Amino acid sequence: MKVRKSLQELIVELKKNDEFKDQIVHWHTIEEKEAKTSELPNDLHDNLQRALQERGIGRLYTHQKSSYEAIRRGESIVAVTPTASGKTLCYNLPVIQTIIESMDSRALYIFPTKALAQDQKSELNELIQATELQINSYTYDGDTPANIREKVRKAGHVVITNPDMLHSAILPHHTKWVSLFENLKFVVIDELHIYRGVFGSHVANVIRRLKRICEFYGSNPIFICTSATIANPLELAEHLTETNMRLINNNGAPSGRKHFLFYNPPIVNKPLNIRRSATLEVRNIARTLLKNKIQTIVFAKSRVRVEILLTYLQDLVKYQLGPKAIRGYRGGYLPSERREIEKGLRNGDIYGVVSTNALELGVDIGQLQVCIMTGYPGSIASSWQQAGRAGRRHGESLVILVASSSPLDQYIIQHPDYFFTSSPETARINKDNLIILIDHLKCAAYELPFKKGDYFGEMEIEELLEYLVEERVLFENGEKYYWMNDSFPAHNISLRSASQDNVVIIDQSDVSKARVIGEMDLFSSMTLLHEEAIYLHQGTQFQVEKLDWEEKKAFVREVAVDYFTDANLAVELKVLEIDKDRENSMVEIAYGDVSVLAKATIFKKIKFETHENIGSGPIHLPEVELHTSSAWISIDKDSSELPDERLDQGLIGISHAFKHIAPLFVMCDPQDIHVVPQVKAVHNEKPTLFFYDRYPGGIGLSEKIYEGMEIIIKEAKEMITRCNCHHGCPSCIGTDPMAETAKIDCLKILNMFLYEVGKGRVS
Amino acid sequence: MSLKNKLNRLKPHLSIPESSKQSSSSLPVKTNKEIPFIDVWRENGVSPFFLEDDYCLVREVKYPLDYQHGRYKLGEFIDAVKAWNNSNISHPLSAKGFLPEQLFFFDTETTGLGGGVGNTIFLLGHATLEDNHFVVRQHILPRPGSEIPLYTSFLEKVDYTTLVTYNGKAFDWPQVKTRHTLVKAHVPMLPSFGHFDLFHASRRLWKHKLERLKLSIVEKEILEIQRVDDVPGFLAPMIYFDYVETQKPEGMLGIIKHNEIDILSLISLYTHLTFQILRMDQNQTEKEAFEVGRWFTYLGQNLAAENTFIELASGESMEAYQSQWQLSLQLKKKKDYEAASGIWLNLSKISDDVIAFESSLELSKWYEHKKKDYKKALLFGQKAKLLLEKRSDRKVDQEMDLAKRLERITRKSCNKNVKK
Repeated sequence: MKVRKSLQELIVELKKNDEFKDQIVHWHTIEEKEAKTSELPNDLHDNLQRALQERGIGRLYTHQKSSYEAIRRGESIVAVTPTASGKTLCYNLPVIQTIIESMDSRALYIFPTKALAQDQKSELNELIQATELQINSYTYDGDTPANIREKVRKAGHVVITNPDMLHSAILPHHTKWVSLFENLKFVVIDELHIYRGVFGSHVANVIRRLKRICEFYGSNPIFICTSATIANPLELAEHLTETNMRLINNNGAPSGRKHFLFYNPPIVNKPLNIRRSATLEVRNIARTLLKNKIQTIVFAKSRVRVEILLTYLQDLVKYQLGPKAIRGYRGGYLPSERREIEKGLRNGDIYGVVSTNALELGVDIGQLQVCIMTGYPGSIASSWQQAGRAGRRHGESLVILVASSSPLDQYIIQHPDYFFTSSPETARINKDNLIILIDHLKCAAYELPFKKGDYFGEMEIEELLEYLVEERVLFENGEKYYWMNDSFPAHNISLRSASQDNVVIIDQSDVSKARVIGEMDLFSSMTLLHEEAIYLHQGTQFQVEKLDWEEKKAFVREVAVDYFTDANLAVELKVLEIDKDRENSMVEIAYGDVSVLAKATIFKKIKFETHENIGSGPIHLPEVELHTSSAWISIDKDSSELPDERLDQGLIGISHAFKHIAPLFVMCDPQDIHVVPQVKAVHNEKPTLFFYDRYPGGIGLSEKIYEGMEIIIKEAKEMITRCNCHHGCPSCIGTDPMAETAKIDCLKILNMFLYEVGKGRVS
Repeated sequence: MSLKNKLNRLKPHLSIPESSKQSSSSLPVKTNKEIPFIDVWRENGVSPFFLEDDYCLVREVKYPLDYQHGRYKLGEFIDAVKAWNNSNISHPLSAKGFLPEQLFFFDTETTGLGGGVGNTIFLLGHATLEDNHFVVRQHILPRPGSEIPLYTSFLEKVDYTTLVTYNGKAFDWPQVKTRHTLVKAHVPMLPSFGHFDLFHASRRLWKHKLERLKLSIVEKEILEIQRVDDVPGFLAPMIYFDYVETQKPEGMLGIIKHNEIDILSLISLYTHLTFQILRMDQNQTEKEAFEVGRWFTYLGQNLAAENTFIELASGESMEAYQSQWQLSLQLKKKKDYEAASGIWLNLSKISDDVIAFESSLELSKWYEHKKKDYKKALLFGQKAKLLLEKRSDRKVDQEMDLAKRLERITRKSCNKNVKK
């Protein structure tokens, strides 16, 4: 009978074991951290103090105390709170204390999802009950029964909701919420880092509308934000709320010693640079840990892979541990189901959890000892959130990142310094994207008329209001602009898409119960929803069976395959306007508006682990026009000294590399940025590489790329140089460039960019 | 580059809602005493109401009491109120304790559907009895933004106790409250009123014979009111926007007329409903009377319910049987089992399986628990069983309950025999 090893013993073994040790590319140890605490505030009401003590809280962590003090001074705050650091007390405590002091006070809590809202409601209610005082807190969302809604509006001290509900149900009916808005003291925004990109831009405008309505009713609430670790929490919070904020980042929660391992599977095909499957490696590692009853959580990118891992692991340990000891977590679990997993982990019935990224979002299931990531989650911030699942207050924990063959994974695994020293990504929003702005301006005008000279947040809107008057949506009367249309503007606006002309995605796996599972803008649909495309939705794979372009409907069916699809877009790009540029005689780096005329041509089927091309097919769709923002770099043709053919191939190879590097620096989905090479750009006839936002009007990504262009070029060069392949492979320049000299040509061109740029910029 | 050019370039991506795209430019806003087309307005009984620099329009029309509107003269409303005052029946639509002058009939026109803040009321119409005639007053919003004179003129005139509307509880009045909130600081407070909403009453009485219960349908089918050249309600928003642009009265006059007739119909409807409820309408159908009875039952007005059913109980129509059945339930409530059982006995023999079943079941229960006559209890229980089996809509629960019942009765019957 094998002796069960502790985690510490296993860690020592891993270092020595031949099978593993050669694949461990990097080992990073984060030493343990003691708790930093502070006394409970002395103005706490007796009942509240007692309630805390009953729950075992005799002192506060430093960040909880700082939050309390700042809020009580009347400051808006953003608290940076890694997983399991007691962030809810940062807002619940000052909010409840204020309500006790003045029972008229009201608070609005905004959570990104209903699941989170439910969790937090339970936690808040438990605390309230412990105080034995009559404070009401309710969720107000699509599931709230009609008879409760009236009560919530009139008598809820704390109203818990989500941005969509605020946007379409609360704000446009604000006269039914007079007691909330007249007495609103606090607005809590949880998981701030979620509000980036398109969604964040929409929510920023919803908050502008909220502030406007508060002003109308005479209240001026404080904003309390909590965020995971991103590079710019203060900036994001201030942009999102247009309010001055205090940053609270003195996290006082303790943590045990943490080991962070980078694991690269061995190469099994040298010339093509193909490595062994990450899923298989994870399976082996997890098996060892679980057999020793070490509580482990495994993250995988898609539900298919979760299922594969789950089945295998359950099978493996069914005699030692029993099949129920390993649980899968799929998105959308009820609070009761999550509590079950939590309980199981606490009392030792459950040893393993296999999950998709759906779990990262703040949901609490308890802490485990080991976290294994199958593939790089896509951003540094996500990686730390997943890693945060492992590690209790005391004792050692282990995080293992197992890389796949994808260029991004390989880049990360070979640049541990990048991962550990660079800040996590910057979250960007572009709340003044014209399309999004106009949408919310309509909603705002519907809610309250605008006056001449009014601002919308910090934005001057005179011209926009005039535009809406011309379009006969608003009516100008004296000094004011009134809504004059029979529609209800909030209904047709989805907070998660940048244009409202979308393709609706319909799941017809169950023919009798076809249901809509999502929407996608037209431009992206060409490459992501063409017929036979494999579409990933919340971790589940679907294949597109039919795309009705006229009706804007895509019909999909659930599948389980081992490949993904990648479509080619033939693009005609035209520069419309240059907003910013810097150049010298050889190189031009610029940013501005472009018009993209795109047509999807063919798609490829690419195998998961190895990234081999296993098939292709044509795409039959009309072309689509997109107006958006773009950043580009052009070089003088002659300076490359390459014949046209090789120049062309070189640019294609570089664009493949760029496409994988750029999202790293802009914290966006890889699909949000497109890269297009042009041997002879229309506006300057020079070889150029364009980056553009896939959202009409642009979403701020290209702008950031313009500012960091040099970094991207440098990193791309690093990535291609370090790559072990001979002539190019999917991990660096892709397989489109055919020439043997492709890899060298790419480097030559990149060097030229850098040389010219380095020579000195003319700003 | 200007924002405007960018907007125009992005136009295909922007979703601008459909609206009446006129080529004419909007007229300059006139805030002094020059009201466009004032003559046309005056000809139609409309005059301006000025408040500081702004104004709204108010129309006033008087109707004599003997004006015939469909089945009723307007003046018969006074009889209706009198009837309530003479009756002892308590009912949500009862005007007992009120004078006719204390009620006002109310209806609005809005720029959209739904209860959002931006849904603008552009016409507030109401009617009351004043000095022996009916006065219809309509307050019109000449442009969005002139709500202060609109609501001021409206609130100066409404000094009554009770609103009468059609679906006003769910829509019109909450929307008035919503829009009033936006100008609260500048206009008088909204008083609170009692509220008679005739929509629910109409649904109770006529759901069985009308497919949809819009006022226009009730008006036509029940009140015998025929409209000529009426502007349909769904065109109202478009016509209003057109009027705002051009200030030409023509279209609006059509809407105003439409609203006026809506209000007159409310008066007739209230009169008619009163006569239905108080059973004063000679032409009331049995079905309608039956629904009135059921309404009384629902309201707990047992005496009224009983009296209604007694009147309907004779004869052999479905309504008669149903009334007898309802009556039996009232009697049961009063614990007058002897009378009830008489009815059940008759009903157990009729051709309608549902009522026959229920009656037999009641008899079985009565004989078992009250009379302790197990032989008869069993007899009727078995009869019920046979009737239930004939029904295709029977439920498993019913069958099981019945089986249990029969078994229990048999058991008790044996015990009784043994005791003997």
